[in-house]
Formats: sequence, C-alpha cells, structure tokens
Amino acid sequence: MTKKIVLVVAMVSCLMRAGTVHAQTPAPDAQPAAAPAAAQPVVSVAPITAADLNAPVKPTDRANGDPDGSLTGTANDIAISDPKVGLTVADVLNQIGANRIGVNFGWTLLCGFLIMFMQAGFAVVEAGLCRAKNANHTMMMNFMVYGVGMLAYFLIGFPLQMGGAGAIANLGGTPVLNSEFTIHLFGKDLGLFGNTGYLLMHHGTYDVAVMVIFLFQMVFMDTTTTIVTGTCCERWKYSAFMVSTMFLGAFTYPIFANWAWGGGWLAMLGANFGLGHGYADFAGSGVVHSVGGLTALACAFILGPRIGKYTRNGDANPIPGHDIMWVLCGCFILAFGWFGFNPGSTLALSGNGGLRAASVAVNTMLAGMTGSFGGILYMWIRYGKPDASMSGNAFLAGLVAITSPSGFVNPVASAIIGLVAGVLVCLSCEFVERVLKVDDPVGAISVHGTNGIWGVIAVGLFSDGKSNYGGSWNGVTGNVTGLFYGDAGQLVAQLMGVATLIGFVFVMSFVVNLFVDWFVGQRVSAKSELEGLDLPEMGAVAYPDFVLRNEGEMVA
Amino acid sequence: MTFVGLGVTFLGFVIAFVSLGVTDSTGGRMGIVLVGIAVSLVGIMGVITPAYQKTWIWKK
Repeated sequence: MTKKIVLVVAMVSCLMRAGTVHAQTPAPDAQPAAAPAAAQPVVSVAPITAADLNAPVKPTDRANGDPDGSLTGTANDIAISDPKVGLTVADVLNQIGANRIGVNFGWTLLCGFLIMFMQAGFAVVEAGLCRAKNANHTMMMNFMVYGVGMLAYFLIGFPLQMGGAGAIANLGGTPVLNSEFTIHLFGKDLGLFGNTGYLLMHHGTYDVAVMVIFLFQMVFMDTTTTIVTGTCCERWKYSAFMVSTMFLGAFTYPIFANWAWGGGWLAMLGANFGLGHGYADFAGSGVVHSVGGLTALACAFILGPRIGKYTRNGDANPIPGHDIMWVLCGCFILAFGWFGFNPGSTLALSGNGGLRAASVAVNTMLAGMTGSFGGILYMWIRYGKPDASMSGNAFLAGLVAITSPSGFVNPVASAIIGLVAGVLVCLSCEFVERVLKVDDPVGAISVHGTNGIWGVIAVGLFSDGKSNYGGSWNGVTGNVTGLFYGDAGQLVAQLMGVATLIGFVFVMSFVVNLFVDWFVGQRVSAKSELEGLDLPEMGAVAYPDFVLRNEGEMVA
Repeated sequence: MTFVGLGVTFLGFVIAFVSLGVTDSTGGRMGIVLVGIAVSLVGIMGVITPAYQKTWIWKK
C-alpha cells in the first residue's frame, strides 16, 4: 500500500509540475526549460517515503515548538477517511484536490473582502468631494448602499445573474447553477437571465462553492450601486436613493451581468456567432463601472443640477468639496481594493490560469499609475496647476479602464490604456459639465461610465492572446485576442457590449428611475438643499462643532 | 421628448443587436454596431439632454 501511495504521489507531482511549466511558458522565445529545471531539482518523490507515512510526527516531537516549520504540515495532516484502514491513495488524491480548491476559495474570498473594503474608499471620496453640510447624508448613502444592495441581490439579483452560470471549475464546480432562461433567435439560443439560487437555498444552491461566488459577485454589485450615490449626492432624497438602489441591485445590474458573466447572449457571441471569444469583460469595466456610470447619468438627468451649479446663462460654477485629504486617501483605499477586484477575478491561484493573477495585479498597478500621470499632466498643461481632485479621478479612471482588459493584455498595453484613461476622464468631465450640463459632483459618470466603456473597447484592441484560462474563454477554444493581434471579431463583440450598455442599460435605468421619481420623488426641496441635507434628511449634521457657511444667504 | 429620446437610444441597441441576424460578415457587423452606438448617442445627447435642460432649476 505504501509503495502505491509513493507511486501515485510521484505521478501526480510530475503531472502537476509539467502542467505548471506549460502554463508559465508564454512564448517560444521564453527562457529555455532546462534552466529552471536545473535550478530546481526534482524533489517530488523524495520527501514522501514509506518511513514518513509510517512514522508520523508525534506530539513529543513538538514539545519545544516548531520554530522552522518543518514539523507542521506533514503526512499527519492528511485527512483519513477511514481510521481503521489508515491513509489510502484516495485520501492523498482527495487531499490534493481539496488543497487546490481550498487555495482558490481562500483567494477568492480574501479578494472579496478587499472589494468590500472599497465601500469605505467610495464613501470618503464622495463625502470629501461634497460640501460639509451634506457629509452625513453622503456617508449614510454609502453606508446603506451596502445593506440595501446586498438585500436586493440576495433576494432577486443573484439568481438572475448567476442562476444559469453553470460549473465554475476553479471553485470545484457549481453544477447546481444550471437554469438559464433563453429565447431562440437568429437560429441560436440566447440566454437572458438565470433562474435558480433564490435565497441561496433553492434547487440545491446551499453549496459552499455557490457561497463563494455569491460573496464575490455581491461585492461587485455593491460597487456598482455606490457609483450612483456620488453623482446624485447633495440633492437626492434618501428614500428615493434606497428604492433606486434596490432596483439596481435586483434587476438592472444582474441582467447585464448575466449577459456578460452568467452565460447570457453577450458571453456567447463567440460560440454562437463567431465573434472572437464573445463579450469579454475580465473584472467588470462594463459590467460594474459602465452600468454604474450610465445609471448615474440617467439619475443625474432626472435629478437635475444642484442649486448654484449653473448660472442663468448656463455657465458652470465650481463647487469645491470640503475635504481633499479624504478624497485622495479614499483613492488609495480604492486602489488597494482594486487588487481584489482584478486579480481576484481569476477566481483561482491554482490551475486554469490562476498564476495569471500576478500579471493582472501588475497591469492594475501600471494603469493606475499612468492614469494619474495622464490626468495630472492634462490639468497642469491646460489650467497651469496639477488639480488634486482630478488627479485622484484620473488615478481611478486608469483603474476602471484596466479592469476589463487586465486579464488579457500585457504591461505595456496596460500603461497605454491607463494613460488614455487619465486624459479621457478630464475631457469627459469637461464635456459632461459644459456640453451636457449634467451636474456630477464627483465625476463618477466620467470615471466609471466613460472609462468603463473605454476599458471594454480596449479588450477588443489590446488583448494579446497570451492569457490562458484553461484553454478557452466563453466556450471558445484559444485565448482572447484583440484587433491589434489579429482578431477583429473580438472588437465587434466588445462594441456589441458597448451598444448594449448605452442602448439598453441606460434606457432601463432611466425608466426605472422615472418610476421612482413619480412614486417617491427623487429630489429634495430647494429649502433642504440650501440648508444642507444632513439635518432635513438625516436628522444630524456631520460636524456639529463647526460653523458652516449659510449658503442660502449667499445664493440669495 | 424624454420618451422619444429613450426610444431613439433603445433603437440604437436594436440596430446593433439585429446585426447578428442580417450578416455573417465581421466588417458588416462592425459597421452596423457602430451605427447603433451612434444612434444611441444621438438619443442621449441630441434628444434627452435638451429635453431635460428645459426643466432644470437654473432655467427657471
């Protein structure tokens, strides 16, 4: 029996090693395989011998502790299914599988926790960019967006989005998420929404892998909802905010997310219509950021600008935020959380492209850096000063733009994507404020909407075909490849996603919020707005010890 | 006018979506999808924006 175990362990180790080398070999011109092999002698068999298995570490061996860790984590720690039989080959193999999935669970959950912390970043960025008289109201929107969005997603959103997603191999498979509502059109079945997983109990979805994917997807959805609060702050009725957020978390976001990530028709554009690998959105420039940005635009139309933002002839007045320290600190919190957002979207560190997380993380860093450079240089050249809030927004714009391509592009492309995003956010902010005359106190429409769309398009341009997430993407064999590397079909799939975002998601968000406006009323009274929303809406001010300017008298 | 604007914006999506059925050519689909995006942008910037600007507080 012991010989069998050693033999199997040796085979499995060799197979895993061979697979790893293959996954890490990006191109024929890469380092020769002989070099790493020489540097790392084959050690797969030697440490596990019959003696090891028959002579486990005894409690007395660790009487003096285990300072170098050599006695902790041995064959003793392999779970034995039947103590009477002892350790079997099946036990060893099961432990290998459990370790792989355990690593992936741990990675995905940890990244989900990081993304959850982004709520704090959004909260302080938005509160810092609003006036002190509205700080409590803005913080409270960001606080409750977490709970309201989660409740909506738990009740309705998650089943709609992921109910038909199918098995997710890196998380050990989620076969119970197998019910997608489809229509037959153009000779193909087009998925529209999922239909299982209600309350995380329905149809066998009380399942650990489903729990992991729920947590990870929930924090993505919450990011979307918190984008809207920034654009609408300083004039949004709190009750309307809660109803609007509920709809966004329950319907608008999950439906588009199903089309992109849940096996819906956009994801299947490659398999059904030969358009590249279908709509590819690695971590959500489109799904998360554009949906949030376009919903923010729809709400901003309905709400209208703040009192005093525009003169009677339509010229924009600057309304500076009250705490730039919070704004830039929040940008760093968001950038920190982005390391969960993008690298975590591999849903794995072990197998099927998990090691690509390193590349994704570096791409994320680079795009944020070049984004801030693009923004700061644009503002410096155009206005003579490096504007702090726009530098922060450009930093975020770079991160937003790389969110979608981060899993498919190389570092140089990431730097270019970020640089373009940094300039684009400045141009977009000016366009939104001066041409559309839409009041966006934090620039969320430009940061998330405009640059989310840029990120989606960038996938169709810059994807280099070197990523490998198990040999296929969206059911199409091979790796995602953009126009610059030879696949125009991928760009068409991405543009189809853009058309859907602008033509469907925006319209849906607009109609939903029109209903909210009719039944609840979106905007606070002019009196409340001039007084500041903290007292009329929340019953307490954020800074009771401070004396604030009376803006009502100023406007009068 | 708001609903006209929403209709035009949605029409852009329909145009892009229909490209899947009317041609198998990648170039043809790209052209139709770009037309769809342009129509949607006209709906937002050319129809919805002016319609809403009339009602905004600084116009009163």
